[in-house]
This record gives sequence, C-alpha cells and structure tokens, in this order.
Amino acid sequence: MNNLSTYLIISALLFSLGLQGILLRRNLIGMLISVELLLNAANLNFMAFNRFLNADPVAGQVIALFVMGLAAAEAAIGLSIILALFRTMHSINIERAQKLRG
Amino acid sequence: METSGLDIMMQAVFWGMVGLTVAGAWIAVFPRNILYNVLGLALALTGIGALFVCLGSPFIGLMQLLIYVGAVCIAIVFAIMLSRPMHLEVPPWPPSKLAMGVVASTVFFVAAVSLALKTDWTPSPDRVSDTSLWSVEKIGEALLTRYELVFEVISLVLLVAIIGAVITAGFSRRLSP
Amino acid sequence: MGAFLGDPILLATVLGTNLPFISMAAVLLFTAPNPALSSKISVAAIAAGAVCSIFLLAVLHGGSPVVYRTLWFNSGNLDISFGYYLDSLSLLMLAIVGVIACLVQIYSLGYMAGDPGYSRYFAFQSLFAWAMMNMVVAGSLIQLFIFWEMVGLASYFLIGFYYEKWSASQAGKKAFVMNRVGDVGFFLGLIWLLIGFGSLGIPELNHAADANALPQGLLTVSALLIFCGVVGKSAQFPLLTWLPDAMEGPTPVSALLHSATMVAAGVYMFGRIFPFFAASPDAMAVALAIGTVTMLLSSTMAMVTYDLKQVWAYSTVSQLGMMVMALAAGGYFAGVFHLTTHAGFKALLFLCSGIFIHQFHTNDMRIIGKQGGRRLVIPMACIAVGALALSGVFPFSGFFSKEAVLAVLAAQPSRIWLAAGLLGAVMTAYYSFRLIFHILLPRGGIEEKRHDAHAHRYHEHEGERRGYIFWAMAIPVIVLAGVTLALGFFEHPIEHFLVNSNTVQPALHPAHGTGAQVDGGGAPLTIMGISAGLFGILLAWFEYGRKGADRKGFLSYFPAIWKLFDSRWFLDAFYRRSLDLFVYGGLTNLFTRNDRRVIDGGIDGICFFTESGGRLFSFLQSGMLQYNLLLMVLAVGGAVLYLLM
Repeated sequence: MNNLSTYLIISALLFSLGLQGILLRRNLIGMLISVELLLNAANLNFMAFNRFLNADPVAGQVIALFVMGLAAAEAAIGLSIILALFRTMHSINIERAQKLRG
Repeated sequence: METSGLDIMMQAVFWGMVGLTVAGAWIAVFPRNILYNVLGLALALTGIGALFVCLGSPFIGLMQLLIYVGAVCIAIVFAIMLSRPMHLEVPPWPPSKLAMGVVASTVFFVAAVSLALKTDWTPSPDRVSDTSLWSVEKIGEALLTRYELVFEVISLVLLVAIIGAVITAGFSRRLSP
Repeated sequence: MGAFLGDPILLATVLGTNLPFISMAAVLLFTAPNPALSSKISVAAIAAGAVCSIFLLAVLHGGSPVVYRTLWFNSGNLDISFGYYLDSLSLLMLAIVGVIACLVQIYSLGYMAGDPGYSRYFAFQSLFAWAMMNMVVAGSLIQLFIFWEMVGLASYFLIGFYYEKWSASQAGKKAFVMNRVGDVGFFLGLIWLLIGFGSLGIPELNHAADANALPQGLLTVSALLIFCGVVGKSAQFPLLTWLPDAMEGPTPVSALLHSATMVAAGVYMFGRIFPFFAASPDAMAVALAIGTVTMLLSSTMAMVTYDLKQVWAYSTVSQLGMMVMALAAGGYFAGVFHLTTHAGFKALLFLCSGIFIHQFHTNDMRIIGKQGGRRLVIPMACIAVGALALSGVFPFSGFFSKEAVLAVLAAQPSRIWLAAGLLGAVMTAYYSFRLIFHILLPRGGIEEKRHDAHAHRYHEHEGERRGYIFWAMAIPVIVLAGVTLALGFFEHPIEHFLVNSNTVQPALHPAHGTGAQVDGGGAPLTIMGISAGLFGILLAWFEYGRKGADRKGFLSYFPAIWKLFDSRWFLDAFYRRSLDLFVYGGLTNLFTRNDRRVIDGGIDGICFFTESGGRLFSFLQSGMLQYNLLLMVLAVGGAVLYLLM
C-alpha cells in the first residue's frame, strides 16, 4: 500500500472521474463538484510526492494548503457566478448558456 | 517485510478509505440528483482527508475536513438551495455525449496511469525521513518565513474572491441587463 | 560649426548647392499659393548658388583639388563616405550649371508668366538645381549616383509639367523608363566596382586607374556598365529617343535640363572618372563607336523635322554624341570644352526658340517664319549667333571646341572617325541654317495682316506687362549670346585650368589628343572644319535661303530616306514592337496569367479554405464549454500517450 504508484493511480482515477463529471454534467453545480474532485486529485498527488520524493517535507503540505485556499476562492466565485447565471437565465443548465456560440 | 496484525489492519483501513473515496467520487459524478452529488463529494473529500493522514500529515487531513467538507460542501448546498436546481430532474444523458466523456476520461486515465508507472521516480538524495519535521509547528514556521509572500498572495486572492463573489452574486441584478 | 563658418570654401559649397533645396521646400510647403513670391524665392536661391559657384571658381582657380569628406556609414570593410570633391572639372561644371540655371529661371519669369503651375514650376526648377549642383560636387560615385537619380526625378517632373497633356505625361514616363534602363547598368557597374575595388571615391578611383592598380577585366566590365548610365542620361544610341520627346516640357526646361546641363551629366560623369575609362581601351572603343553612331543618327533626324524644338533636341543628342566621341578618343579637354561651349549656345538656341514659341504659339518653323519671326530682332539675332556657334563658324565658341574635337578625332589611328566628325559638322550646319532660313526668309514673304493684328494686340493692350515678360526673356538670351561670342577666346585659359592644374591626374595628359594637338593639327584641319560648316550652310542656303529655292531639301527626292529619318530610324517603332512582343505579349501575359490563376486563385483558395475552416471550427466553437474541454482533455491525453510511446 505504501508506495507512490498506488497514490498516483488513485489520484488518476479521481481525476478521470472528475473529468467525466465535467464533460457530462449539464448542471453547473454538478460541474463545480467535479472541479473540486479534480483539485483534490491534484492535491493528493502533491501530498504523495511530498511524502515519497521531496527533500523538504514542509513544501508539499504548504502547497496543499494553498491549493485548498484557491479551491475555496474558486468555490466562492463559482457559486456566485451560478447564482448570477440563475438570476439572469432562470436556469443553470450549462447547455443553454451558449452566448459565446460562434 | 513481515506482516503483523497491525499492518493488516492498517492495510484494511487504507483500502477501505480508498474505496470510500472512489465510491464518493462515483456518487459525486454519476447520479442525476444534485443533492446526492454533494453528499458523494463530501464522502470523497473525507476519504481523501483520511489518505492524507495515511500519507503522514494529520494536519492537512484535518484542514481537508475543515475547509472542504465543512465549508465548500456547505456552500454548495446553499447554492443548490438558492438556485433550486434539484427539482429540475434532468433527462438521461445522450449516449453520444456519454461515450465522448467516457472516451476522453479513459484516454486521460490511461495516460496518467502509464505516466505514473513508466516514470522512474527517484527520491531526492537529501531527503529527510524524520517525521518530527512533519509537525504543525514546522508548517506554521514555514508559512510565516519562507512562504510568507505566497501566504500573503493567497490571502489577497481569497479577499478578492470574497469581494468578487459578493459583487457577482449580490449586485448582479443591477449589473445585468 | 566654427570650423564650418571659418572655411569660406566649404560654406560656399554647402550653401550654394543646398539653397535651391531650401527654396524648393519653402515653395512647396508655404508659398505655393503665391506665385510671385515663389518665383522670387527660387530665383534668389539659384542666384545665390550661381554667385557661390563663381566665387568657388575664382577662389580655387589654379589650385589643387579640394576634398571634403565624412564617413557616411561603413559596412564590413566598405567605407561609404559622403563629401565634396572640388577639382577644376567640378568647379567649371558647377559654374556652368549655376549660371545657366540662374539665367533660365530669370527667363522663366517671363516665359511661364500666367501659368497655373507657376509655383510648382519653380519648385521643380529648384529641385533640379539642387540635385544637379550636388551631383557635380559629389565626392564619390555613390553620392553622384544618388543625385544623378534625383536629377532624373526632376527631369521627369519637368517633362511632364503639363501633365494634363497626354503626350507630355507619356514623354515623362518614356524619359524616366529609358533613363532607368541606363541607370540599372550604371548601378550594376558601381556594385561591380565596389566589390572588385572596394571604394567608390572618385579621387581614389582615378588614382588607382592611373597607377594601373585595377585588373583589366574588372575595369572593362565596370566601365562598360557605368557607360550604360551615360548612354541613358546623355541620350546616346540606342536610348536616344527619349530626349526629343522630352521637348514636351516647357521650353526653358528643355534649355536647362535637356540640352545644357542635365543631359550633359552623362558626359560630365564620363569626364569625372575619365582616367578610369581611359584605362580600359575596350570600353573607350565601344564609347567611341556609340558616340559616333549617335551623332550621325540624330543629325539625320534633325534634317527633316519642322519642329523648332525637335531640331535642337536632335542637335543636342548629336552634340552629346560628339562629346562622347571626343572623350572616348582620349580628348579629355576637347570633350569637356565642347560640353562647356555647347551648354552656352544650346541654352541660347532653346531660349530664343522659346521666345518664338511664346510669341507665335507654335513649334513649326514654317509658320513662325510666315508670321514674321524675323521681326523679333533680338531673338532672331541671338538665334543666328547660336546657330553659327553650333555650326562651328569662326569667332563663335562652337568653332573652337569643334576644332578641338576634330583634332582629337584626327589623332585617332583610323580616319573613319574624323570623316564621321566632318560629316556630322556638315549636317549640323545644314539643319541649323535650314531652320534659320525658314524663319528669316519665309517663303512668299510675311503674312503682313496677321502680323499687324498681332503687333497691334502686342502694343496696345498688354503693353507694359508684355514688355516685362519680353525683357525677362530677352536679357538672359543676350547674356548667353555674349557668352557664346566670348567663350571661345578663353580656350587656352580653360585648357590650362582643366588640364594643367590637375597634377594628380596624369591620365589627363595622354600622348594624344589634348588641346596642344589643336595647334599641332595645323591649318589643314582647321580649314577642313570651317569648310565643312560652310558647306552645310551653303547647302542650306541653296535649298532654303536663295530666291526661288524650292524649300524642300534634297532629302525629299528620296522619300524612303526622308521617312526613315522622320520616324527616327524606326527606333521608337522598334522599341514599341519589342515592347509589345516581349513585355506585353510575353511577360505581361505571363504575369496576367500568374495574377489570375496563381495569385487570385491562391487568394480565392485561401479564402475558401479559411471560410470552410471557419465553418468547421465554428461547429466546434459551439459555445459549449464541455465540448471545448473534451477536445482539450483528448489533446492533452493524446500528447502524453504519444510522448510515452
């Protein structure tokens, strides 16, 4: 259990599931949830590399903390965008938000 | 390596956590009811927190619980309540889109796994395996000395994000046409 | 700056050559709406230029050449310098240009009066004066080439001055293109020389040529290429037909640019690097042949035309050919001296013709004669002086220079050149006096009535203004006539100045063909020259002057030859035909096809491709985030897999 590859594979699995969610979901909140999954997969990678490879064990943890902070910021902004979108379009279906259509 | 009972238990706990994480992620992605998704996300995040502990960093594991499960998931639940999307039960996904998503994520998964397995990971030569360095004090000290600039930048980013969120969500009625 | 002000020679050079440019800028930018002011500025500037040039000639008389030079830029081991080279030749030429340009501009005050393009005319005249004077004092061939091209530009502007006239704009284009044909050769020659010799400074080049430091192959090729420039600028065979067409410009322009100075620039350049040319016998032989052919061809053309200006234009070409002959035969002084005298009397001839043209509004010598051209006493007398000089009759300047040229030709081993020169002299005298007799002794007398009406108008209505105009034109003419009368007696001072003061250029003292040969050539040659001129005049008298002459000319008994001469030996037709055949038929067709098929088709193809590509990608650009993401993920995954393989 305690080797790098296990963690990396778990992280890849989480990431792929998150991708699947992002690519499939029509619901913006659902996409946001999937993005959280992606971030966590990346975080898991950081922590695993920190545990098994890195010279200074503090660095990886600090980076993980920063990623969490960024994720929180991202969640706040994402959710407010969802609210704004819901107000203007009365829907959060991503397939209807096509104003950028070429 | 000799396998004692403790090891076996640890292994069982570890794989249990892994299973919890993956199952949570599965629930967070596939069910079409948004509330299930949030609960699955909470489950997956908790599992990841447990994995962090397994990786030897209980502090980060706790922070994971605090920030993600405690804050982000709750915020998402609020967003769901405010935008009422759960009543709008969505129709099943069109197979083409499903296929495309599956193909893309499978490709990515294969790529990532093969990358992970094929690379020759070598630890840094001056690596310290002293776990006393993993303590919270060390992290706090590093945050306020070596990573101080990053720390301040991230607090600035959070501040901007909060203000931006307030503006976007609170004044969007006035801003939007 | 102090050194600049403290050196009167440099100051005079810079000021004299560049004031016309300032006046051009001032006229074009500020005073264009005020013609009177524009013309005054321009005349003042060129008068200052003339004064400066005469000052320089007086100060540096007999001294050794003065060189000013600054480094312009260097590239690799090539140093391109910029500066002035004031030796006897450039000082003489500078004085010629300055004085004649000044006289012509004063003349233009009258000739161009009332023209809507008055300011523009003087601006272009100033541009020409600036370019020409800078070309004359240029210290290196590259600088000379730059101003050479500027002179060509000014010529283009002035030929096409009446641009609303189709023939004038065509003539401007023709002159420009034909000059460029020659200049391409000139430029290639410069490059060849720069590569082979490494410097384009005129003194260096002449020194090296004197010291036989140049390999013969390099010398011959570059000399021949540079001679192409002379052919274009001085309207030598086969690029001679632009000059008669250039007469579409105002007559003073013809006088200044297309007879006295600009076209002489080719000959001047020949003289400028004369030691360089002289070091290559092959190039000199080619030049001699071209000069001879040019002289004979254009003389024949002048014998049949009735257009006043055309006669002088052909005559200019033939005299230029004569100068080239003289130079190419090794007669540095003879060529340059003929250039000097020719500048005077040809400007005189043109300016006189301009008065006739201005008065009678026609270029046809028969009509001018019938309407009483001889009543205009001053221009009539002056044009006679000019024609006598052109024919080489004794006291006039043309006599001396033509004798010098013939002496040089006589010193050639082959007699054919002398024979050609004498034949040219006969024809020159013939066509000059054909013109004179046409005006002076019109057939059937003057149509008194028309002339009276004209004179009536002339005296009563426009009295004072016409008087001003007339005298503005007459004074320069009288001055030039005086110069033409006097200049010939300065042959020996000028020769001394040109040849002996140039101690640095031993090639100017070749064994054969300097002015010393004129005396040595002896009486027979002088008698031959004079008799050639007189024979021409008598022939003209017999056919046009005497009472009861049929005024047809002996050539009219040979219609084919008349036609041949009248159509310029079909040179223009030949150019037109070959232009049609090769350029329009061949190249243009090819380019049109290329344009239609390849370029247009290519653009269409690109448009089609872009449009359909846009359609294709706009399908992807559905505004749907998830598809964009999908592609992104696929691309990243694919790239990773590919790199791992």
